[in-house]
Amino acid sequence: MAAAEAVFHQDFPLKGGDFAKAGVVAVRIKELLKDLGLDAMTVRRAAIAAYEAEMNVIMYAWEGRVDLAVSPEEVHITVDDHGPGISDVELAMTEGYSTATPEMREMGFGAGMGLPNIKKNSDILHIDSRAGKGTRLKIVIRRNGHGQS
Amino acid sequence: MSAKNFHSIHITKDNCVGCVHCLGACPTRAIRIRDGRAVISDELCIDCGECLRVCPYDAVHSHTTSFAALDAFDYKVAIPSTVLYGQFGGGILPTEILSALRRIGFDEVYDLSSICELNCAATEEYLAEHPRPRPFITSTCPVVVRIIQRRYPSLCGQILPIEPPREIAAKILRTILPKALGIPAERIGIIHLTPCSAKMVSINSPATLNKSYLDGAISIRDIFPQIVSALRKSEEDALMGHLFPETQFSGIGMGWSLSGGETRGFKHHKAVAVSGVRDTMRVLDQVEAGLLQDIDVLECTVCPDGCVGGPLEVENRFLAKSRILQLVAAAGERAVVDPKDVSRLYHRNFLSFDHPATPVESNPLDRDPAKAIRKAARRDRIFAMLPKKDCGVCGAPDCRTLADDIVRGRARLGDCPFVKPAKATTRKKEKR
Repeated sequence: MAAAEAVFHQDFPLKGGDFAKAGVVAVRIKELLKDLGLDAMTVRRAAIAAYEAEMNVIMYAWEGRVDLAVSPEEVHITVDDHGPGISDVELAMTEGYSTATPEMREMGFGAGMGLPNIKKNSDILHIDSRAGKGTRLKIVIRRNGHGQS
Repeated sequence: MSAKNFHSIHITKDNCVGCVHCLGACPTRAIRIRDGRAVISDELCIDCGECLRVCPYDAVHSHTTSFAALDAFDYKVAIPSTVLYGQFGGGILPTEILSALRRIGFDEVYDLSSICELNCAATEEYLAEHPRPRPFITSTCPVVVRIIQRRYPSLCGQILPIEPPREIAAKILRTILPKALGIPAERIGIIHLTPCSAKMVSINSPATLNKSYLDGAISIRDIFPQIVSALRKSEEDALMGHLFPETQFSGIGMGWSLSGGETRGFKHHKAVAVSGVRDTMRVLDQVEAGLLQDIDVLECTVCPDGCVGGPLEVENRFLAKSRILQLVAAAGERAVVDPKDVSRLYHRNFLSFDHPATPVESNPLDRDPAKAIRKAARRDRIFAMLPKKDCGVCGAPDCRTLADDIVRGRARLGDCPFVKPAKATTRKKEKR
């Protein structure tokens, strides 16, 4: 994102284990993107990616933060968390791989589609994780982009 | 009023006192108080009737067809929602209610439960042929279709493209009656009786048909007194009528108006039923985030407990629901429709939408992305100055909406009674 461009920023705090608020941030992001005039399919891709990223923090981390930055061309969703980190990122990107507990699965979470789903719906996904410290996901979604297969 | 912007819900200005009840009740924040009266935005209203439910001053009304307007037709046909069967106490049976309708001036009356059963079977055929996407969302509730078009445009393709029973019934009757009666189709009036404030909208500006097969919708509330007096005059006939039951009610279709009733008859597919406008929106948010893909059908009705909770019914919905459940239990699993007939109609596309529901253009802060971004930032700064009491005194339902109205040029910061004039002058400062 170029510095001179108009950029809209908003921060959303997240708390690990706060399942009662699951999905609230993704809905707020979706509404903001509609107000900013993004087309329906781009908004949906962002909503899915934001939801999965939000759920990762709620399910696994202690606390986290979503930073939304929107320019006329791109949506950046950066999710930072303090948490156990992802020890093997490549393995975590495999569809169906999950470290969810039986309780989480009972609630319908932890199908192992989170990160693959984020990748599918974003144009750039960068994962930076340190075991025992936390994870940073950088998600970029371009207006009229198509995601990655 | 153009067909595109037709609304059933309107404010009766003389009754409105400009209080804030409807402001907070509106799920799409479509209402503002202007000059001491409620004003509904054409763009945002989805005709759900939530405002009608909460207004203490009888200032919100719903346009429905008047009984007198039926005089324009040579032959009048009523197809009542099955909700009507739950409106009368004293063990009055559906057959008696149908004959009471004949007595008050309808030439013919048709029960919808069989068509509900037909719709259920056709839906299962469609699901079997279309393994994707999931979940499909049913279109019986016209408000749900309108919410999706406006707030969840990416889900338009997930609306299950089978017309609801009321339209299928009217289409069948429109096909057979003119020939059977020798009366031109346009002289036959086919009228739905409904507890719903939105059916007139789906009749006047259908989302998925080129033209509705119905000629109008009469509110159950309006026609109720006439039915009651007809029932009173005909107790003896009713007794005789019991001995010759003329209509075969479908056990599968009878509970259609209760939440979960549309999909209760499913044999091979998984369904989830949601009712209430806010819960419907919450679940649609989840579907848009990619959830519920293991569900075949999502049945959404914006009225609490389903159509039985419609704002234009008379009986409280709990009693009505209990009576309908008794009818469902009495009818059991009785099927009255031949699956072969369903299949034949289905494969002739007789039951399908004329065209899919299409997204209704959204309303961003600005068409220019850079300007929209600046306005969103300004909206945040304005919101930070507001008291967050959501009192409604400014005329907007809450502080966030007032901030939105201000950046859209529809309100001023000074409309807020809590922002002191001294602060109001800082508007220049916060303005870029």
